[in-house]
Amino acid sequence: MTSKTLFVTCGATVPFPKLIECVLMESFAQELLNSGFKKMIVQFGKGYQRSFTALLGRRYSDDPVYPSNDLGYDGKPVHGYMASGQLEIIGIEYSTRIQNVIAEYADLVISHAGTGSILDSLRLGKPLIVCVNDTLMDNHQQQIADKFEAANYLIACLPKENEIVECFHRLQRKRMTPFPQAYNENFRQTLVTLAYGPANLKS
Amino acid sequence: MNACVVAIILAVYAVYVIRLVVVLPWLGGRRVGHARGPLKLFVFLGSGGHTGEMLRILENYEATLLKGTLHIGYSDEVTRTKFEEFAKRYEIRAVYYQFKKAREVNASLVSSAKSIVATLYTSFMHVVRIRSAMAGSPHLVLFNGPGTCCILALWFKVLELVVLWQDSSNIVYVESLARVRSLSLTGKILYYLADLFVVQWADLQQRYPRSSCYSILT
Repeated sequence: MTSKTLFVTCGATVPFPKLIECVLMESFAQELLNSGFKKMIVQFGKGYQRSFTALLGRRYSDDPVYPSNDLGYDGKPVHGYMASGQLEIIGIEYSTRIQNVIAEYADLVISHAGTGSILDSLRLGKPLIVCVNDTLMDNHQQQIADKFEAANYLIACLPKENEIVECFHRLQRKRMTPFPQAYNENFRQTLVTLAYGPANLKS
Repeated sequence: MNACVVAIILAVYAVYVIRLVVVLPWLGGRRVGHARGPLKLFVFLGSGGHTGEMLRILENYEATLLKGTLHIGYSDEVTRTKFEEFAKRYEIRAVYYQFKKAREVNASLVSSAKSIVATLYTSFMHVVRIRSAMAGSPHLVLFNGPGTCCILALWFKVLELVVLWQDSSNIVYVESLARVRSLSLTGKILYYLADLFVVQWADLQQRYPRSSCYSILT
Protein backbone atom coordinates (compact mmCIF):
# COMPACT_ATOMS: atom_id res chain seq x y z
CA MET A 1 0.00 0.00 0.00
CA THR A 2 1.42 3.39 -0.95
CA SER A 3 1.73 6.08 1.71
CA LYS A 4 -0.99 8.72 1.45
CA THR A 5 -1.31 12.24 2.86
CA LEU A 6 -4.37 13.96 4.32
CA PHE A 7 -4.60 17.74 4.15
CA VAL A 8 -6.81 19.49 6.70
CA THR A 9 -7.67 23.19 6.47
CA CYS A 10 -9.77 25.49 8.65
CA GLY A 11 -9.53 28.53 6.43
CA ALA A 12 -7.28 31.45 7.18
CA THR A 13 -9.69 33.86 8.89
CA VAL A 14 -11.66 32.13 11.66
CA PRO A 15 -10.23 29.31 13.81
CA PHE A 16 -12.22 26.09 13.86
CA PRO A 17 -11.08 24.19 17.02
CA LYS A 18 -13.77 21.51 16.81
CA LEU A 19 -12.51 20.29 13.45
CA ILE A 20 -8.90 20.16 14.68
CA GLU A 21 -9.91 18.27 17.81
CA CYS A 22 -11.74 15.69 15.66
CA VAL A 23 -8.86 14.99 13.29
CA LEU A 24 -6.37 14.74 16.18
CA MET A 25 -8.30 11.91 17.91
CA GLU A 26 -6.32 8.69 18.29
CA SER A 27 -9.24 6.69 16.91
CA PHE A 28 -9.31 8.80 13.73
CA ALA A 29 -5.54 8.43 13.38
CA GLN A 30 -6.06 4.66 13.48
CA GLU A 31 -8.72 4.90 10.74
CA LEU A 32 -6.27 6.86 8.59
CA LEU A 33 -3.52 4.26 9.09
CA ASN A 34 -5.89 1.44 8.17
CA SER A 35 -6.55 3.16 4.83
CA GLY A 36 -2.87 3.74 4.05
CA PHE A 37 -2.47 7.34 5.22
CA LYS A 38 0.93 7.96 6.81
CA LYS A 39 0.98 11.76 6.94
CA MET A 40 -1.37 14.60 7.85
CA ILE A 41 -0.77 18.28 7.09
CA VAL A 42 -2.99 20.65 9.07
CA GLN A 43 -3.47 24.35 8.32
CA PHE A 44 -4.93 25.34 11.67
CA GLY A 45 -5.24 29.12 11.23
CA LYS A 46 -3.54 32.12 12.81
CA GLY A 47 -3.39 32.29 16.61
CA TYR A 48 -4.06 28.60 17.18
CA GLN A 49 -0.49 27.27 17.37
CA ARG A 50 -0.38 26.90 21.17
CA SER A 51 -3.66 24.98 21.32
CA PHE A 52 -2.62 22.80 18.40
CA THR A 53 0.67 21.90 20.08
CA ALA A 54 -1.18 21.09 23.30
CA LEU A 55 -3.63 18.82 21.48
CA LEU A 56 -0.78 17.01 19.79
CA GLY A 57 0.80 16.34 23.19
CA ARG A 58 4.45 16.46 22.22
CA ARG A 59 6.28 18.56 19.68
CA TYR A 60 9.32 17.18 17.87
CA SER A 61 12.24 19.34 16.88
CA ASP A 62 13.37 17.27 13.88
CA ASP A 63 12.37 18.43 10.41
CA PRO A 64 9.14 17.12 8.88
CA VAL A 65 9.18 15.30 5.52
CA TYR A 66 7.91 18.36 3.71
CA PRO A 67 10.13 21.47 3.91
CA SER A 68 8.43 24.69 5.16
CA ASN A 69 9.32 26.36 1.91
CA ASP A 70 7.19 23.92 -0.08
CA LEU A 71 4.37 24.33 2.42
CA GLY A 72 4.34 28.09 1.88
CA TYR A 73 4.92 28.79 5.58
CA ASP A 74 7.79 30.96 6.79
CA GLY A 75 7.72 29.80 10.40
CA LYS A 76 8.70 26.45 11.89
CA PRO A 77 5.86 23.93 11.54
CA VAL A 78 4.50 22.08 14.56
CA HIS A 79 5.78 18.56 14.09
CA GLY A 80 4.63 15.41 15.86
CA TYR A 81 3.43 11.84 15.58
CA MET A 82 0.30 9.90 16.42
CA ALA A 83 -0.72 6.25 16.48
CA SER A 84 2.55 5.07 18.10
CA GLY A 85 4.68 7.08 15.74
CA GLN A 86 3.17 5.68 12.55
CA LEU A 87 1.25 8.82 11.51
CA GLU A 88 3.32 11.95 10.97
CA ILE A 89 1.60 15.27 11.75
CA ILE A 90 2.73 18.61 10.31
CA GLY A 91 0.86 21.68 11.55
CA ILE A 92 1.15 25.15 10.00
CA GLU A 93 -0.63 28.40 10.81
CA TYR A 94 -1.25 29.31 7.21
CA SER A 95 0.04 28.57 3.73
CA THR A 96 0.74 31.17 1.07
CA ARG A 97 0.70 28.49 -1.61
CA ILE A 98 -2.18 26.33 -0.49
CA GLN A 99 -3.12 25.30 -4.04
CA ASN A 100 0.39 23.93 -4.61
CA VAL A 101 0.30 22.06 -1.30
CA ILE A 102 -3.02 20.44 -2.20
CA ALA A 103 -1.91 19.69 -5.77
CA GLU A 104 1.45 18.17 -4.80
CA TYR A 105 0.78 16.38 -1.51
CA ALA A 106 -2.91 15.80 -0.76
CA ASP A 107 -4.65 12.50 -1.51
CA LEU A 108 -7.68 13.63 0.49
CA VAL A 109 -8.78 17.02 1.83
CA ILE A 110 -10.89 17.71 4.92
CA SER A 111 -11.87 21.35 4.98
CA HIS A 112 -14.24 23.87 6.52
CA ALA A 113 -17.15 24.76 4.22
CA GLY A 114 -15.77 28.06 2.92
CA THR A 115 -16.14 28.51 -0.84
CA GLY A 116 -12.43 29.29 -1.29
CA SER A 117 -11.27 26.03 0.29
CA ILE A 118 -13.97 23.99 -1.46
CA LEU A 119 -12.99 25.37 -4.87
CA ASP A 120 -9.25 24.92 -4.18
CA SER A 121 -9.77 21.18 -3.64
CA LEU A 122 -12.42 20.45 -6.27
CA ARG A 123 -10.65 22.41 -9.02
CA LEU A 124 -7.59 20.22 -8.36
CA GLY A 125 -9.74 17.09 -8.54
CA LYS A 126 -9.11 16.00 -4.94
CA PRO A 127 -11.63 13.98 -2.90
CA LEU A 128 -13.14 16.30 -0.32
CA ILE A 129 -14.91 16.05 3.02
CA VAL A 130 -16.37 19.34 4.14
CA CYS A 131 -17.03 20.10 7.77
CA VAL A 132 -19.64 22.79 8.46
CA ASN A 133 -18.73 25.27 11.16
CA ASP A 134 -22.12 25.48 12.86
CA THR A 135 -20.99 28.04 15.42
CA LEU A 136 -20.57 30.92 12.96
CA MET A 137 -23.16 33.68 13.00
CA ASP A 138 -25.02 34.51 9.80
CA ASN A 139 -22.94 32.27 7.62
CA HIS A 140 -23.91 30.26 4.61
CA GLN A 141 -21.63 27.27 5.15
CA GLN A 142 -24.49 24.82 5.61
CA GLN A 143 -26.28 26.05 2.47
CA ILE A 144 -23.11 25.85 0.39
CA ALA A 145 -22.23 22.39 1.73
CA ASP A 146 -25.77 21.14 0.98
CA LYS A 147 -25.61 22.47 -2.59
CA PHE A 148 -22.27 20.84 -3.35
CA GLU A 149 -23.25 17.60 -1.64
CA ALA A 150 -26.54 17.42 -3.54
CA ALA A 151 -24.52 17.62 -6.76
CA ASN A 152 -22.33 14.77 -5.44
CA TYR A 153 -19.11 16.82 -5.65
CA LEU A 154 -18.21 16.25 -1.99
CA ILE A 155 -19.34 14.75 1.29
CA ALA A 156 -20.47 17.11 4.07
CA CYS A 157 -20.76 16.68 7.82
CA LEU A 158 -20.67 18.45 11.17
CA PRO A 159 -17.50 18.61 13.30
CA LYS A 160 -18.22 15.44 15.25
CA GLU A 161 -15.73 12.61 15.32
CA ASN A 162 -18.17 9.82 14.48
CA GLU A 163 -19.52 11.82 11.52
CA ILE A 164 -16.05 12.48 10.13
CA VAL A 165 -15.10 8.82 10.46
CA GLU A 166 -18.38 7.81 8.79
CA CYS A 167 -17.74 10.27 5.91
CA PHE A 168 -14.21 8.97 5.60
CA HIS A 169 -15.55 5.42 5.15
CA ARG A 170 -18.25 6.58 2.74
CA LEU A 171 -15.73 8.43 0.59
CA GLN A 172 -13.63 5.26 0.13
CA ARG A 173 -16.62 3.48 -1.39
CA LYS A 174 -18.40 6.27 -3.21
CA ARG A 175 -17.81 7.53 -6.73
CA MET A 176 -17.92 11.33 -6.76
CA THR A 177 -19.05 13.42 -9.73
CA PRO A 178 -16.15 15.34 -11.31
CA PHE A 179 -16.43 19.08 -10.74
CA PRO A 180 -17.26 20.89 -14.02
CA GLN A 181 -15.02 23.51 -15.61
CA ALA A 182 -15.62 27.13 -14.59
CA TYR A 183 -15.27 28.22 -18.20
CA ASN A 184 -18.62 29.11 -19.76
CA GLU A 185 -18.64 30.18 -23.41
CA ASN A 186 -21.99 32.00 -23.05
CA PHE A 187 -20.59 34.14 -20.27
CA ARG A 188 -17.51 34.97 -22.36
CA GLN A 189 -19.68 35.94 -25.34
CA THR A 190 -21.91 38.11 -23.15
CA LEU A 191 -18.85 39.95 -21.80
CA VAL A 192 -17.44 40.45 -25.32
CA THR A 193 -20.80 41.72 -26.61
CA LEU A 194 -21.06 44.16 -23.72
CA ALA A 195 -17.52 45.47 -24.20
CA TYR A 196 -17.10 45.43 -27.99
CA GLY A 197 -20.60 45.27 -29.46
CA PRO A 198 -22.23 42.32 -31.26
CA ALA A 199 -20.23 42.79 -34.48
CA ASN A 200 -16.99 41.81 -32.73
CA LEU A 201 -18.17 38.59 -31.17
CA LYS A 202 -15.42 36.55 -32.77
CA SER A 203 -12.60 38.42 -31.10
CA MET B 1 -39.07 85.21 -23.57
CA ASN B 2 -40.61 83.20 -20.73
CA ALA B 3 -41.91 80.62 -23.14
CA CYS B 4 -38.40 80.29 -24.56
CA VAL B 5 -36.89 79.62 -21.10
CA VAL B 6 -39.60 77.09 -20.32
CA ALA B 7 -38.98 75.38 -23.66
CA ILE B 8 -35.24 75.13 -22.95
CA ILE B 9 -35.84 73.76 -19.46
CA LEU B 10 -38.30 71.23 -20.83
CA ALA B 11 -35.88 70.20 -23.56
CA VAL B 12 -33.02 69.69 -21.09
CA TYR B 13 -35.40 67.84 -18.79
CA ALA B 14 -36.49 65.59 -21.66
CA VAL B 15 -32.89 64.87 -22.62
CA TYR B 16 -32.03 63.78 -19.09
CA VAL B 17 -35.15 61.68 -18.68
CA ILE B 18 -34.28 59.86 -21.89
CA ARG B 19 -30.67 59.61 -20.71
CA LEU B 20 -31.77 58.17 -17.38
CA VAL B 21 -33.84 55.52 -19.15
CA VAL B 22 -30.85 54.64 -21.31
CA VAL B 23 -28.36 54.65 -18.42
CA LEU B 24 -30.31 52.56 -15.93
CA PRO B 25 -30.32 49.00 -17.21
CA TRP B 26 -33.65 48.09 -15.62
CA LEU B 27 -35.48 51.06 -17.18
CA GLY B 28 -34.26 50.67 -20.74
CA GLY B 29 -32.56 48.05 -22.83
CA ARG B 30 -28.95 47.09 -22.36
CA ARG B 31 -26.67 49.20 -24.54
CA VAL B 32 -23.74 47.63 -26.27
CA GLY B 33 -20.44 49.21 -27.21
CA HIS B 34 -19.06 49.44 -30.72
CA ALA B 35 -15.47 50.22 -29.92
CA ARG B 36 -12.34 48.50 -31.23
CA GLY B 37 -8.89 47.89 -29.81
CA PRO B 38 -7.68 46.12 -26.68
CA LEU B 39 -10.08 45.72 -23.78
CA LYS B 40 -9.77 48.11 -20.86
CA LEU B 41 -10.91 46.62 -17.62
CA PHE B 42 -11.58 48.08 -14.20
CA VAL B 43 -11.72 45.57 -11.36
CA PHE B 44 -12.40 46.32 -7.72
CA LEU B 45 -10.71 43.92 -5.33
CA GLY B 46 -12.35 43.58 -1.93
CA SER B 47 -10.60 41.83 0.92
CA GLY B 48 -10.09 38.06 1.38
CA GLY B 49 -12.80 35.97 -0.23
CA HIS B 50 -13.92 38.68 -2.66
CA THR B 51 -10.42 38.94 -4.12
CA GLY B 52 -10.11 35.15 -4.22
CA GLU B 53 -13.27 34.79 -6.31
CA MET B 54 -12.34 37.71 -8.57
CA LEU B 55 -8.88 36.30 -9.33
CA ARG B 56 -10.48 32.97 -10.24
CA ILE B 57 -12.80 34.71 -12.71
CA LEU B 58 -9.88 36.63 -14.25
CA GLU B 59 -7.89 33.38 -14.55
CA ASN B 60 -10.76 31.42 -16.08
CA TYR B 61 -11.46 34.11 -18.70
CA GLU B 62 -7.82 35.03 -19.14
CA ALA B 63 -7.93 35.07 -22.95
CA THR B 64 -10.79 37.60 -22.92
CA LEU B 65 -10.11 39.68 -19.81
CA LEU B 66 -6.33 39.84 -19.42
CA LYS B 67 -5.44 41.34 -22.79
CA GLY B 68 -5.13 45.08 -22.27
CA THR B 69 -4.48 47.42 -19.36
CA LEU B 70 -6.09 46.59 -16.03
CA HIS B 71 -7.27 49.34 -13.72
CA ILE B 72 -7.27 47.94 -10.20
CA GLY B 73 -9.21 49.39 -7.27
CA TYR B 74 -8.31 48.18 -3.76
CA SER B 75 -8.59 49.23 -0.10
CA ASP B 76 -5.82 47.39 1.75
CA GLU B 77 -2.16 46.82 0.98
CA VAL B 78 -2.37 43.03 1.47
CA THR B 79 -4.79 42.82 -1.45
CA ARG B 80 -2.57 45.02 -3.60
CA THR B 81 0.49 42.84 -2.90
CA LYS B 82 -1.55 39.77 -3.73
CA PHE B 83 -2.59 41.24 -7.05
CA GLU B 84 0.94 42.36 -7.88
CA GLU B 85 2.04 38.72 -7.67
CA PHE B 86 -0.90 37.73 -9.87
CA ALA B 87 -0.02 40.49 -12.37
CA LYS B 88 3.57 39.28 -12.54
CA ARG B 89 2.46 35.74 -13.26
CA TYR B 90 0.16 36.82 -16.11
CA GLU B 91 2.38 39.69 -17.32
CA ILE B 92 -0.39 42.23 -16.83
CA ARG B 93 0.08 45.98 -16.97
CA ALA B 94 -1.89 47.39 -14.06
CA VAL B 95 -2.80 50.88 -12.84
CA TYR B 96 -3.72 51.02 -9.14
CA TYR B 97 -6.31 53.18 -7.36
CA GLN B 98 -6.60 53.08 -3.59
CA PHE B 99 -10.08 53.56 -2.15
CA LYS B 100 -10.59 54.25 1.53
CA LYS B 101 -13.11 52.21 3.43
CA ALA B 102 -16.21 54.26 4.13
CA ARG B 103 -16.20 53.67 7.88
CA GLU B 104 -13.66 52.96 10.60
CA VAL B 105 -14.83 51.06 13.65
CA ASN B 106 -15.41 53.18 16.82
CA ALA B 107 -15.20 56.50 14.99
CA SER B 108 -17.19 59.41 16.44
CA LEU B 109 -20.19 60.78 14.54
CA VAL B 110 -18.37 63.89 13.31
CA SER B 111 -15.25 62.05 12.21
CA SER B 112 -17.45 59.37 10.60
CA ALA B 113 -19.30 62.01 8.62
CA LYS B 114 -16.01 63.63 7.64
CA SER B 115 -14.49 60.35 6.51
CA ILE B 116 -17.61 59.46 4.52
CA VAL B 117 -17.49 62.78 2.68
CA ALA B 118 -13.75 62.32 2.07
CA THR B 119 -14.37 58.81 0.77
CA LEU B 120 -17.13 60.01 -1.55
CA TYR B 121 -14.86 62.72 -2.91
CA THR B 122 -11.73 60.61 -3.50
CA SER B 123 -13.75 57.78 -5.00
CA PHE B 124 -15.49 60.24 -7.33
CA MET B 125 -12.14 61.60 -8.54
CA HIS B 126 -10.85 58.06 -9.11
CA VAL B 127 -13.96 57.11 -11.09
CA VAL B 128 -13.59 60.25 -13.24
CA ARG B 129 -9.98 59.19 -14.02
CA ILE B 130 -10.92 55.59 -14.70
CA ARG B 131 -13.81 56.53 -16.99
CA SER B 132 -11.74 58.94 -19.03
CA ALA B 133 -8.96 56.32 -19.32
CA MET B 134 -11.49 53.85 -20.71
CA ALA B 135 -13.48 56.24 -22.94
CA GLY B 136 -13.58 55.30 -26.61
CA SER B 137 -12.12 51.83 -26.01
CA PRO B 138 -13.95 48.58 -25.41
CA HIS B 139 -14.28 48.38 -21.67
CA LEU B 140 -15.80 46.53 -18.73
CA VAL B 141 -16.17 47.28 -15.03
CA LEU B 142 -16.07 44.13 -12.90
CA PHE B 143 -17.46 44.06 -9.34
CA ASN B 144 -18.19 41.28 -6.85
CA GLY B 145 -18.42 43.18 -3.56
CA PRO B 146 -17.95 44.54 -0.92
CA GLY B 147 -19.96 47.71 -0.06
CA THR B 148 -17.46 50.13 -1.62
CA CYS B 149 -18.64 48.82 -5.00
CA CYS B 150 -22.04 50.47 -4.41
CA ILE B 151 -20.44 53.91 -4.17
CA LEU B 152 -18.28 53.23 -7.22
CA ALA B 153 -21.22 51.93 -9.28
CA LEU B 154 -23.23 55.01 -8.30
CA TRP B 155 -20.47 57.36 -9.47
CA PHE B 156 -20.07 55.45 -12.73
CA LYS B 157 -23.80 55.80 -13.40
CA VAL B 158 -23.94 59.47 -12.34
CA LEU B 159 -21.11 60.29 -14.76
CA GLU B 160 -22.79 58.28 -17.48
CA LEU B 161 -25.99 60.25 -16.88
CA VAL B 162 -24.37 63.69 -16.84
CA VAL B 163 -21.62 63.36 -19.45
CA LEU B 164 -23.80 62.82 -22.50
CA TRP B 165 -21.04 62.09 -25.01
CA GLN B 166 -19.43 59.27 -23.02
CA ASP B 167 -20.48 55.68 -23.51
CA SER B 168 -22.01 53.09 -21.20
CA SER B 169 -20.18 52.03 -18.02
CA ASN B 170 -20.63 48.31 -18.80
CA ILE B 171 -20.79 47.30 -15.15
CA VAL B 172 -20.73 43.55 -14.55
CA TYR B 173 -21.56 42.33 -11.05
CA VAL B 174 -20.92 38.70 -10.11
CA GLU B 175 -22.58 37.65 -6.86
CA SER B 176 -20.49 35.49 -4.54
CA LEU B 177 -20.72 31.72 -4.85
CA ALA B 178 -21.49 31.73 -1.13
CA ARG B 179 -24.88 33.31 -1.82
CA VAL B 180 -27.16 30.35 -2.45
CA ARG B 181 -30.64 31.56 -1.49
CA SER B 182 -30.48 35.35 -1.21
CA LEU B 183 -28.46 38.26 -2.53
CA SER B 184 -25.87 40.08 -0.42
CA LEU B 185 -26.64 43.69 0.55
CA THR B 186 -24.23 44.91 -2.14
CA GLY B 187 -25.97 42.58 -4.60
CA LYS B 188 -29.39 43.99 -3.73
CA ILE B 189 -28.19 47.52 -4.53
CA LEU B 190 -26.12 46.62 -7.59
CA TYR B 191 -29.15 44.72 -8.97
CA TYR B 192 -30.48 48.13 -10.03
CA LEU B 193 -27.19 49.60 -11.25
CA ALA B 194 -25.24 46.81 -12.98
CA ASP B 195 -25.54 46.43 -16.74
CA LEU B 196 -25.03 42.70 -16.35
CA PHE B 197 -26.00 41.08 -13.06
CA VAL B 198 -24.73 37.53 -12.59
CA VAL B 199 -25.52 34.97 -9.89
CA GLN B 200 -23.85 31.57 -9.65
CA TRP B 201 -26.79 29.38 -8.60
CA ALA B 202 -29.79 28.69 -10.88
CA ASP B 203 -32.30 28.83 -7.96
CA LEU B 204 -31.17 32.34 -7.11
CA GLN B 205 -31.49 33.39 -10.76
CA GLN B 206 -35.17 32.38 -10.74
CA ARG B 207 -35.85 34.67 -7.81
CA TYR B 208 -34.26 37.65 -9.54
CA PRO B 209 -35.54 37.87 -13.15
CA ARG B 210 -33.04 40.54 -14.22
CA SER B 211 -30.09 38.34 -13.26
CA SER B 212 -28.20 35.90 -15.46
CA CYS B 213 -26.71 32.58 -14.42
CA TYR B 214 -23.83 30.81 -16.15
CA SER B 215 -23.40 28.18 -13.44
CA ILE B 216 -20.26 28.37 -11.27
CA LEU B 217 -17.78 30.86 -12.75
CA THR B 218 -15.18 30.88 -9.98
